[in-house]
Amino acid sequence: MSPPSDHDVCVIGGGVTGAGVARDLSLRGLSVLLLEKGDWGAGTTGGSSWMIHGGPRYLEFDWDTTRLSTQDAGYIVSIARNLVYRVVFIIPVLPHDKNNIERMETAMEVYDRFQPLKKAHPHRRLTAEEARQAEPGLTPDVIGAVTMEEWGIDPHRLVYANVEDAVAHGARAMNHTEVVDLVRDGGKVIGVRYRAADGAMSEARARVVVNATGPWSPRTSGLAGLKVELRPAKGIHIVYPHRISNFSISAESVDGRDLLMVSHAGFTLLGTTDDDYYGDLDSVDVLEDEVDYLLQAFERVFPSIRDYRPVRATAAVRPTLFKWRRYEDELSRRYQVIDHATEGVEGFVTIAGGKLSMYRLMAEQTSDAVCRKLGHQGPCTTATSPLPGNESEMEPAAELARRCGIPALAAVKLQSRHGTRAEKVLDGGRASRLVCRCEPITEAELAYSTRHEQVRSLADAFRRVGLAAGPCAGAACVMRAAEVIGTELGWSASQRFASAREFVRGAWLGRAPVLGHAGWAQEELAQGAMRGLFN
Amino acid sequence: MGRTDSLAKLALAYGVHLARRRLSRPRSQLDDLFDTYATDGIRALQPAERERHPHLVGCINCGLCALAAGRIGQTRLSDLASSYMRLYARLGEASSDIEGDAPDLEAAASACPVGVPLVEVAAIVRRMTAG
Repeated sequence: MSPPSDHDVCVIGGGVTGAGVARDLSLRGLSVLLLEKGDWGAGTTGGSSWMIHGGPRYLEFDWDTTRLSTQDAGYIVSIARNLVYRVVFIIPVLPHDKNNIERMETAMEVYDRFQPLKKAHPHRRLTAEEARQAEPGLTPDVIGAVTMEEWGIDPHRLVYANVEDAVAHGARAMNHTEVVDLVRDGGKVIGVRYRAADGAMSEARARVVVNATGPWSPRTSGLAGLKVELRPAKGIHIVYPHRISNFSISAESVDGRDLLMVSHAGFTLLGTTDDDYYGDLDSVDVLEDEVDYLLQAFERVFPSIRDYRPVRATAAVRPTLFKWRRYEDELSRRYQVIDHATEGVEGFVTIAGGKLSMYRLMAEQTSDAVCRKLGHQGPCTTATSPLPGNESEMEPAAELARRCGIPALAAVKLQSRHGTRAEKVLDGGRASRLVCRCEPITEAELAYSTRHEQVRSLADAFRRVGLAAGPCAGAACVMRAAEVIGTELGWSASQRFASAREFVRGAWLGRAPVLGHAGWAQEELAQGAMRGLFN
Repeated sequence: MGRTDSLAKLALAYGVHLARRRLSRPRSQLDDLFDTYATDGIRALQPAERERHPHLVGCINCGLCALAAGRIGQTRLSDLASSYMRLYARLGEASSDIEGDAPDLEAAASACPVGVPLVEVAAIVRRMTAG
């Protein structure tokens, strides 16, 4: 084992909260080590609804949560302009819905008071006929509708932008690195013991260790003999590899929950469920019953939903704060910063609960707690400091495309991931040939991500640049992508082959629960294209 | 306590809303909706397009249409259905990709194993990119 490295703070957990804490503390001038056992944002963050939203749902429970998350969403929109896009919901009202059109519009009128905080427009009210003009796929039973605006975001890129900025300000950040134990000195946590991607064990000393491991928080705090109690909730999404509509749509489930069909940048997420979860956090399966539950709700509002071919489903577990007796859906999305010194363990802080929209605020308050412990004076600047790629205005995508010899749509997508740094990504001297045509992604970008963005597998590339996220689900691109990544990482031919096989097998787990008739036809084609991988 | 307070405030807002609805004359807000979000590329599909939409987005990117008929403008035909038809919000910025000659789209469509109607796909993508 190599001698321990020394840091002011070690942050465990590379989801959006952990990455946000690492960035915040680095910007305040502290030396930070950030460790993630999988890939950046691969857990709860990546399995979210990909929205930073104020949550009008919380108006029924807690206006403060709505205000705080709306305000913080506004900050994120300002610092991560390349990553966000407007998501406009049509909320149709049907006979026998729990809320009539007047109650629904009332909620939107109240929500409009918060909308300016996140630079969003006020709602509109539509008659039944107008609603079906805006979205002809709505059921003829619709009585009327209201609209609501939120922001969509690529959470994987948001996490990585935070990691990248933390590193730019002196942090050390390692993915595929698992903390296996805490180093203790009497009642004080003084560091972590971790296993790196290559299997090597190391130790790092830190004056404060932050537990930002989301649903894994109880397990991590258990390493210090502490009890952090959560009520983990499982949520799944069905993923369609295209926009079903340019408008997002809400629907009421059979048990009266609000479900969302969210139109993102070229794909659609349909979700989510919210069920108490007691299973293995490292292996969360999607059940066909859960898929049917979602489709049943949307069929009532959008009858043709079953005619569309999903490409996969995702599952994740929310780190909801513990509360006895309430239904899962009614649980608060608030968060708690816990300084375990009050329980006799110094040098250890846990951030628990919360939601993607409030990640920056959670990170700020966690960092404040850490700075208080360290006696460090340094203001938080994350609400105003732009994330990498947002330092100036982006040029028109068509100009970038012409100059770099790539399709304009590829330039649009490149800018959406890298902002003003898009051209730098293509500067590596690699071909601007498309490797993943659905997305579309150039070989140069894939090579750049491997070299500079800690891509270590095809699954990492899926998260970092959207590899195989499109309609072909990887059939046309994984082998070539394995070549590009393998060249960068020095993989042998068999390692490249094994990497592609691992990706295909992993992707299958998410695809199996949503395969319908057309899905099977595609699967046959994909397996033909990748013949040999399953032997 | 928080919930009681929230529900009370919502109840008050509901009363104000009902009173306002009685006293004012509603006007159509549909055009406002489209105008507000036109720059974000959020446009409605036409009813006929909506009916056909599940078929229009059925591409699995096998590439056979490109083998049969080549490119539309600078874009490989299979990319048209697998990539451009996904209706990105910023699709309008990619209009230059599909400017130029149109190939024999009927021939391309007849080569498609999942029956994507490429003539319609091309028309919709062109309409959406034109803004």
